[in-house]
Amino acid sequence: MSADNDQQAREQLIDLAAQFYDQFELGEIPHMSVPTRTKNNIEYDEETGVWVYGDRESTRSANSVRGARKLLKAVYTIEFLADQLEEDRSSTLRELYYLSESWDNNEAQFSDQDESNGLIEDLEIVSGVTREDFHMRPEESGATIMGPLHLREQTRRGEREIHCQKDVGEGGYQIPNNPDTIEFLNSEADFVLAVETGGMRDRLVENGFDEEYNALIVHLKGQPARATRRIIKRLHDELDLPVTVFADGDPWSYRIYGSVAYGSIKSAHLSEYLATPAAQYIGIQPADIVEYDLPTDPLSDSDINALESELEDPRFQTDYWEEQIELQLEIGKKSEQQSLAARGLDFVTETYLPERLSEMGVI
Amino acid sequence: MTSFQSTLEDEVGIAEELAENQQAISIAEFFEKNKHMLGFDSGARGLVTAVKEAVDNALDAAEEAGIAPDIYVEIEEAGDYYRLIVEDNGPGLTKESLPKVFGKLLYGSRFHAREQSRGQQGIGISAAVLYAQLTSGKPAKITSRTQGASEAQYFELIVDTDANEPEISVEETSSWDRPHGTRIELEMEANMRARGQLHDYIKHTAVVNPHARLELREPKNHFKFERATDQLPAETEEIRPHPHGVELGTVMKMLTATDSQTISGFLQEEFTRVGKKTAESIIDEFRDRYYGREMRWRPPTARDDVDIGAAVSAATANKGADATAAFAEAIADAVADHDRIAHHELVAAVDVAAEDVEADHGTTFGDTVRENAVEAVWLNVIDAADDAETDADATVEHTAESRLVADLQALADDATSTRKDDEVIYAFAERLAATFEDEHEAENVRHRLTRTRLREFVDRAAALTEEYDDVTFGETARENVTDAVWDVMATVPDDPPLVRELDNDRDATSNLVDGMRAADIMAPPTRCLAPITEELITAGLQKEFDADFYASATRDAEVHSGDPFIVEAGIAYGGEIAAEGSADVMRFANRVPLVYQRGACATTDVVKSIGWRNYGLDQPGGSGVPNGPAVIMVHVASTNVPFTSESKDAVANVPEIEDEIELAIREAARELKSYLNKRRSMQQRRKKQNVLGKILPEMAEKVAEVTGREEPDIDDAVARIMNNVLVERSVKENGDGQAVSVTVENNSNTTESLEITDILTAEPTNLSEDATVVEMDGEWFVKWDINVSSDDEAALEYVVANDATFDLDIKGVESEKLTVSA
Repeated sequence: MSADNDQQAREQLIDLAAQFYDQFELGEIPHMSVPTRTKNNIEYDEETGVWVYGDRESTRSANSVRGARKLLKAVYTIEFLADQLEEDRSSTLRELYYLSESWDNNEAQFSDQDESNGLIEDLEIVSGVTREDFHMRPEESGATIMGPLHLREQTRRGEREIHCQKDVGEGGYQIPNNPDTIEFLNSEADFVLAVETGGMRDRLVENGFDEEYNALIVHLKGQPARATRRIIKRLHDELDLPVTVFADGDPWSYRIYGSVAYGSIKSAHLSEYLATPAAQYIGIQPADIVEYDLPTDPLSDSDINALESELEDPRFQTDYWEEQIELQLEIGKKSEQQSLAARGLDFVTETYLPERLSEMGVI
Repeated sequence: MTSFQSTLEDEVGIAEELAENQQAISIAEFFEKNKHMLGFDSGARGLVTAVKEAVDNALDAAEEAGIAPDIYVEIEEAGDYYRLIVEDNGPGLTKESLPKVFGKLLYGSRFHAREQSRGQQGIGISAAVLYAQLTSGKPAKITSRTQGASEAQYFELIVDTDANEPEISVEETSSWDRPHGTRIELEMEANMRARGQLHDYIKHTAVVNPHARLELREPKNHFKFERATDQLPAETEEIRPHPHGVELGTVMKMLTATDSQTISGFLQEEFTRVGKKTAESIIDEFRDRYYGREMRWRPPTARDDVDIGAAVSAATANKGADATAAFAEAIADAVADHDRIAHHELVAAVDVAAEDVEADHGTTFGDTVRENAVEAVWLNVIDAADDAETDADATVEHTAESRLVADLQALADDATSTRKDDEVIYAFAERLAATFEDEHEAENVRHRLTRTRLREFVDRAAALTEEYDDVTFGETARENVTDAVWDVMATVPDDPPLVRELDNDRDATSNLVDGMRAADIMAPPTRCLAPITEELITAGLQKEFDADFYASATRDAEVHSGDPFIVEAGIAYGGEIAAEGSADVMRFANRVPLVYQRGACATTDVVKSIGWRNYGLDQPGGSGVPNGPAVIMVHVASTNVPFTSESKDAVANVPEIEDEIELAIREAARELKSYLNKRRSMQQRRKKQNVLGKILPEMAEKVAEVTGREEPDIDDAVARIMNNVLVERSVKENGDGQAVSVTVENNSNTTESLEITDILTAEPTNLSEDATVVEMDGEWFVKWDINVSSDDEAALEYVVANDATFDLDIKGVESEKLTVSA
């Protein structure tokens, strides 16, 4: 992260404040427009193969009390971020939320963290600067990599060279908040295996799956953080590794896959930077539930709603997903990754994954 | 008015009883028995009622004389008793009428009049006098001075309870400071426990009588209610009774007393809204009930193989062939011209034919000939010609071709539901036709029936049909058939009986009353009513309630059982009115406040039934009297307000009146709603302004800080955000003076009218054309009235000396909507 880069980010933020200033001076109602962040306003970008925001915009305007508060908070946040960049410090999204308590103006304080997170997203979009470049990081990334990869990380305490199998413990290599500080040195990996749950990730490591199949096991920890998605994209782009996603067999897991492969709705402005359109979904597929006769739970109402809304989600409008989702709605059941243990602890590494991966042409 | 009018009132149950029995029981005894009905059931209430009766009387007396009432009420403790004094500035009373007014029950100027007035029966004040006399044993002390009289008369008066006659015990002249008026002093057993109601009564009276000045002095209190207007209520006129509102007994008495000979004359003379035409339509209704209608049958047609002409010829003897033929032909043609023909129509047709032929042939067709012809033709029309020739006792065999059956079948078929099959209808028609045959045999050749009798026929035929054909022939079908037949029947032309013939004929009179009710008659005139009017309701409310908002509504006149009435409503809201608890409901009838029996009153019922939440008032549970700082008043004015009892405390639940009360309240409530909505939106605007007024400057300050610039000017942006009207002054140095421009920018969505006054310390020049300037005490008032449409601008410009100062004053726009930077 260069000082130049910081300077540019800072200027872009101040330009935003200047925009409000000019609006005041012209007697206009201060406002800013951001793309509407809903699934109805994302569209497929043919060129990059990812989903980006469409043309619809929401306006944050001082016309209403709510809008005015929002803009006031935006200006306070801009000031805070500009100062932070100048001092070359960083903070977490949660810290920003708490920090607002210290601002001299009650009206500018955030009422919850969703609000401050949303505002940072707004500023990212309007200024065209990513929040990493604002020196804002999520409170924890925590996601890990385990596998045959040798890399160099630029830390605050100097450069470190790490091998993600040999230099790390059982827990694997911890992905930093800004993975762009990493440089890949060498890799013997054949593919990336992104795993949703910690239990399954540990099972794979215990069974030595990474060693046996030269897999980079990336733990997604549920809905993957930006850093996790970014590093997956870089592994794919820079090391030319196929990416696979192994998650539970329920609608929420399909969304996890969706955000790895197509970009998430909340950060579609960064899709190009975060999404890996070539990522493939291993399972659990609804078809697997039938084929392997896995232990299941019935779909709850919210599951059914989520599945139905996925059918309308432009990201899932492919033959494969329509077929799978309709099948799931038909059988009315879902299964977890770990339900494979019903066939024995080694079933997943000895049978299921090899079968699925060869079906998919990864191994 | 003629004297029988004394019994016209619907409210006179007691009065009649009283008048009839005055020989039998003493008035005191009567009073003792009925005092609760007259409002004297307790000492507390008795005092309120006495005040009420005396004040009502006083107001009426002054108003009748065209004097703005000035009434003084005093209540003082007098040993074991209370002394009540009521003074008015009315015309005073003559020596002759005075004792009767105060001392004789049922004496009063209002009693005989069908017009709106406060008192009606003449019971009130005399009852108060009697109550005082019975409880304290003291006489009523009355002072009266007629206009122009040099001295006042003083009387002491007691009521002879055996004879219901006033007796004057003391009579002397005295001096009195009022130039005219009446003063009554009563001592009675009483207490002040009903102080609340007493105050309500006086205060409410002040509200609905903004033209009156009232004063109330109590042992510990003193209230004055000043006039809000000099405008007296419109004078009312008496009206005659309306035909829809009178009852049988009344009509019988009116018939006995009238000078008219004919019913038509009687109706036109004695009732309002009855002219010649209306009288005729009432008489037609009367005929239908009294004589019945005649059935009109379809005359035989060519296909029926009935030769009317031949029948006439056969019945006409010795009139010469030509004349007979002409006669027969004329009748046959006349009958054929009728779509349906009734007996009396046939008689008329025969008469016309006879006279025409007489004129042409010089042959006289006398009554007998005409009667024979009528009979011959009529028997053919009702298909009974054969019967007459053969044995009348023989069972009549109806063939399928019977025209009466076919006729009735067609009527019944149209009148009943399509589900009834033709066979059933045919069988029914056959039976119904048979009943007409029976009538014929029973000498009712003309088939003349009242509707009741017709219904009996239909019932009989229907019952038989149900029995033999095993179908249902329900109430609706019977009624429909009866209607269908009744509609084709014709009102008979018989002359109605004369008035003297109707006299004491209860049934015939009852037919007349029914006819009067059935006839379509214009609503009674409303000049007999004197509504308070919307303007004065508002004035009255403003006078007595310091509120933020007033609304009022006066409805058009309506009629309930023949009496016209007008309902008015008023609402006062906010201000000093207590916000806790439920709203006050003030009820009035003919300008008299109703303070007792709130729960029994139609007014209260209607107020409770309205969904006040729709109008922006709090109403727990969505029904009942609403909560909040509101006063709701309802005034029912009528020549005859229907009360639930003689004490006149509650308006009876008459649907027509309830509907109007509801409409009047809703009308006023709609205004309240729009006021409350506007207030709410102004509150929101103010709130928004307060919040934004804080946030936006802070935002501007921060933006300036971040960008490192001067703080921006945010007035324009604020005005725009608030949809405000922005008034801005800009001043430019202009040589030895300064050019001033006051710009109005309208950011709201409506056109705004502003009155702008700019006060200068020096004389302006080069003033904009549409502005004017007035100099006062060394200051120049620049006045500028301007309309600025939405999103538009206007500017006031002038030049003034450099050292001049300005002071801008803006009217016409709510302060919430105005941003001034000048």
